[in-house]
Amino acid sequence: MTKGVGGYLLIDHRASPGLPEDVALLAGYDPRFTGEGKVYEVNTMTCSHCGSSVVPNPMRIRPRAKCLECDNREGHYICDGCDFIRSQPGYVHTPIRKTMDDAKDGKTLQGSPPKLLMP
Amino acid sequence: MSKRIFQVSSFTPLQQADGVLAAGSFAGLKPGASTDILKIGKVLLQGQASSSAVTATMLARSSTLAITPTALGLPNSDGPANIAATAVTNAPVPFVAAATAPNRSPAVGIPRLNLTFNAFGGIIQWQTNPGSEEEWVAVGNTTTSNSETVLSSANVGTAGLIGADIFYEIL
Repeated sequence: MTKGVGGYLLIDHRASPGLPEDVALLAGYDPRFTGEGKVYEVNTMTCSHCGSSVVPNPMRIRPRAKCLECDNREGHYICDGCDFIRSQPGYVHTPIRKTMDDAKDGKTLQGSPPKLLMP
Repeated sequence: MSKRIFQVSSFTPLQQADGVLAAGSFAGLKPGASTDILKIGKVLLQGQASSSAVTATMLARSSTLAITPTALGLPNSDGPANIAATAVTNAPVPFVAAATAPNRSPAVGIPRLNLTFNAFGGIIQWQTNPGSEEEWVAVGNTTTSNSETVLSSANVGTAGLIGADIFYEIL
């Protein structure tokens, strides 16, 4: 496991037939390490906007998004979904830590999002 | 607060498309109060199937929260890892059944954690780094696509029997 941010995923198929190659690819795993008798270990990345953990696709060559408002030195990883939302007009920077702080302060709107209730 | 463990002894996370989850095919967890924050730091799934079963489990959020979750009963359990821990003010809500099951969120920008493995002898574990603040976070107990976390399966393969342990903390 690496130090720092993110997490760690272990898939142990040492006593299992493992995953077919197509399923492994669908799941974003490296199929060489998810077959019968194999162990797959990978560091996951955590999005600082929604808090999701992402298993990095080893085949990916496109750059991954980073948010310099979350980390103004190197930029903090954000997932593709949050990167899309960030590109929308009127986006207000809302990292997961702000959501947590707002909840603790009683500022978080509870219930359904207003967009679902109002035309 | 102390670390807690939500344990589901044995269930089949039936493979299914996004939408209202089938009864008995999920494990759900949410904080007990609107100002509580729940942080999942580790998920451990153990395959219990008696034949090969590609099981595309995922940790996701409910786009419509479960209505009237059924109180958890044995052999499933939920409690502090430290038996001497101080009782939480508002107990979290772990459940495997509800009067109306949760709806798994299909929206882009709403996170999921893919935990696909073979439930015939397979084991899968996801955890955050020790000391890392970057855990799976749920805020409050009523916000859609946020408060409630569900463990269920995507519509891939044929899910097999599994056991689940979710290690978390209430703030």
